[in-house]
Amino acid sequence: MDILYLLIPLSVVLVFLILAGLWWAVDSGQFEDIEEEGARILRQDDGE
Amino acid sequence: MLTDPLAAAAARPVPHAPDALALLDDPQEWVAFSRPLASGPDLWESSVVIEGMHCAACAVAVESALAGVAGVLRAEVSAASHRARLVWSSTRAKPSDWMQALQRIGYRAVPANDLFASERRRRETRKALWRWLVAGFCMMQVMMYAYPAYTARPGDLTAEMEQLLRWASWVLTLPVLLFSCGPFFASALRDLRQRRIGMDLPVALGMAMTFAVSTAGTFEPAGPFGREVYFDSLTMFVFFLLSGRWLELRLRDRTAGALEALMNRLPDSVERRCADGSFERVAVRRLQPGDLLRVRPGEAIAADGRIEEGHTQVDEALLTGESRPLARAVGAQVVAGSHNLSATVLVRVEQVGAATRFAQIVALMESASTTKPQAVLLADRLARPFLLVVLFSAAAACAWWWDVDHERALMVAVAVLVVTCPCALSLATPAALLAAAGRLASGGVLVRRLQALEALARVDTMVFDKTGTLTSNTPALGDIRTRLGTTPAVALEMAAALAAHSLHPVSRALVQQAGLRRAQDPALAAAGTWTCEGASETPGQGVQGLVRPALWAAAPAVPLRLGSALFCSATPGTAPEVHLSDAAGWLATFGLREALRADVRAAVQALAQSGVDVRMLSGDRPDAAARVAAAAGIAHASGGCSPADKLQALATLQSQGRTVAMVGDGMNDTPVLAAAAVSFAFGQAVPLAQARADFVVPGDRLMAVVQTLQVSRKAMAVVRQNLLWALVYNAACIPLAMAGWLPAWLAGLGMAGSSLVVVLNALRISANAPQDA
Repeated sequence: MDILYLLIPLSVVLVFLILAGLWWAVDSGQFEDIEEEGARILRQDDGE
Repeated sequence: MLTDPLAAAAARPVPHAPDALALLDDPQEWVAFSRPLASGPDLWESSVVIEGMHCAACAVAVESALAGVAGVLRAEVSAASHRARLVWSSTRAKPSDWMQALQRIGYRAVPANDLFASERRRRETRKALWRWLVAGFCMMQVMMYAYPAYTARPGDLTAEMEQLLRWASWVLTLPVLLFSCGPFFASALRDLRQRRIGMDLPVALGMAMTFAVSTAGTFEPAGPFGREVYFDSLTMFVFFLLSGRWLELRLRDRTAGALEALMNRLPDSVERRCADGSFERVAVRRLQPGDLLRVRPGEAIAADGRIEEGHTQVDEALLTGESRPLARAVGAQVVAGSHNLSATVLVRVEQVGAATRFAQIVALMESASTTKPQAVLLADRLARPFLLVVLFSAAAACAWWWDVDHERALMVAVAVLVVTCPCALSLATPAALLAAAGRLASGGVLVRRLQALEALARVDTMVFDKTGTLTSNTPALGDIRTRLGTTPAVALEMAAALAAHSLHPVSRALVQQAGLRRAQDPALAAAGTWTCEGASETPGQGVQGLVRPALWAAAPAVPLRLGSALFCSATPGTAPEVHLSDAAGWLATFGLREALRADVRAAVQALAQSGVDVRMLSGDRPDAAARVAAAAGIAHASGGCSPADKLQALATLQSQGRTVAMVGDGMNDTPVLAAAAVSFAFGQAVPLAQARADFVVPGDRLMAVVQTLQVSRKAMAVVRQNLLWALVYNAACIPLAMAGWLPAWLAGLGMAGSSLVVVLNALRISANAPQDA
């Protein structure tokens, strides 16, 4: 039982860490244009 | 300016720096988002995107702030599309003046055609998504901490453990309240500072109260608010509200989708060929007529022009309603806003910016989407008393329950505040009308006034003009009879010179025919064309002007008249024809053959099936009118009507209590079109910007009129359903919440759901069967 006194605060910290990860994902635009990545392979790219 | 840290954090990016605004005061920049108005000197009409707007109440605030700036003559704001249209005088105000006026009350304006708009939009979407994710994730975790409190038997959970779980819930609720709810608080604060009641005030109040009660329960269990905590309810209803807002945002983008797609149809940048033959990417605004562009398949064409190399297929559905791909080879014209479908082509630019047909369509659509129909104005006016009733009900419920249980009383008040959905009321009409306008735009019908959709749904009589409407725009040219001493070829050349100054379908046929004959017969081309000076047109009658040979500038100019028999003092014949006369009288007569549009019969039948009485009024001779009416299947037709006769006939119909729609070519029928309840212009005859009608149909399908009628009826049905829903929902839920039967989380779900129902219902209009059914 006593371990819960450590695990619950730890879970709060974990939530904030996961939120930080989500923030990075949102901010780098990973949730926009979800079809874009799939379509990229079909596109003809010149140069690169 | 915002001084409150919470509001400042929630307000979107830093305001424009003053010098960035001053940049917009340069008249060169104005054309990007404004156009000069013909109705007065120095008058400009601008379209801007307003950021920070949430509801109809915001629209009213923005409108009054804009109208308060000296030099702004008119301001119209659309709550559904977040766009404002304003008319201002460049001598008395500058764009920075009214933009600063908006910043002072906490909104910001972005020029609508500015490239920055899309960037800001993206940032706004990201932020909304991020707020939603924080709320959702914290909600899940708070639920887990709340679970033991619900399931544990007495004695299972030690007091310390329970306190620890509450602490953890409190910590995770903080980001939800401070960050995810930021927009609600910011908007409520802004409204309070303006001493008015906004749509977000009840919700913000509800959130603050729930958090206060729960915090008191956590840190002071023995206090007056009891020891219960509602962190799970709070995070849950915030999550529901944000889910609702997020979906609403996406759906609004889709409902206004065709509209937005239309306006954002042009690419941001294009590939232009440099002097050395290489290609560089430049902004569309930098394009000049004469530039050579490379357009790849799948790209939109950025300017009007001609194909110089390659052949392809293009999609011009937006401009003509023609949904089939059209083949375009070297020398063919392509228009801005159409899509290149199959191959890479080089296009020589002829028209850019506001001169393109695309720009005219966008200007039409923008002014339509910001004009306010009667029903919307009504909803705006109702919003304020409605909110007062809600606040009052919450206070009354709280007072009633206070003696029973303090804590219960506060939570009942919270439920009342959260469950009411003024947004459903204010979204009901604009969402449906915008969806209808978007649907029509994708079918090639442009709506000039949204209000006309309301009127069109009630129409029971439709009156068609004949020439250019039932019959094809360009009649075929028949035989040519001339006075002795003039050859048909010369007469045709002289007539064509005059006709070039008129947009009447017959004039266009003459010009086209003259061009054809010149191309077939080199001898004719050698004889030379004629030029015309001082041409003036009498609508419905004819054109007159001074004509002389193009190659012989010293020749005396001949005053000529081209038009009806009366206009040219010629003897009227029995067949449709147009006459040419000079000072000595009759000179030539051109026989005309009329061609009915392909879908006339189908359209007339479909209208009759929809319960609409179809009639025809024509300025043409009665027997010609009767012939066309018989071919089209129209029972009531009268010919030989002057514009005054047509007005008279219209007044008679209206005095019988009928709602009449008038379909004409938008030029000769202007007074009749204006007098009818609803008017259509078949837009090919007239430049779009000049068409004075509620609906403009740039294509040549008469079925578009039938489809517009059906869409408008459907839209008004959706509006009625939406308003009914909003009323029933609020009338049912407020008493339930006051009675204490609605927990806060259910109230949040109800409100989010109610807005969604309204928007989804409106979406039914745009997501309908393919329109070429």
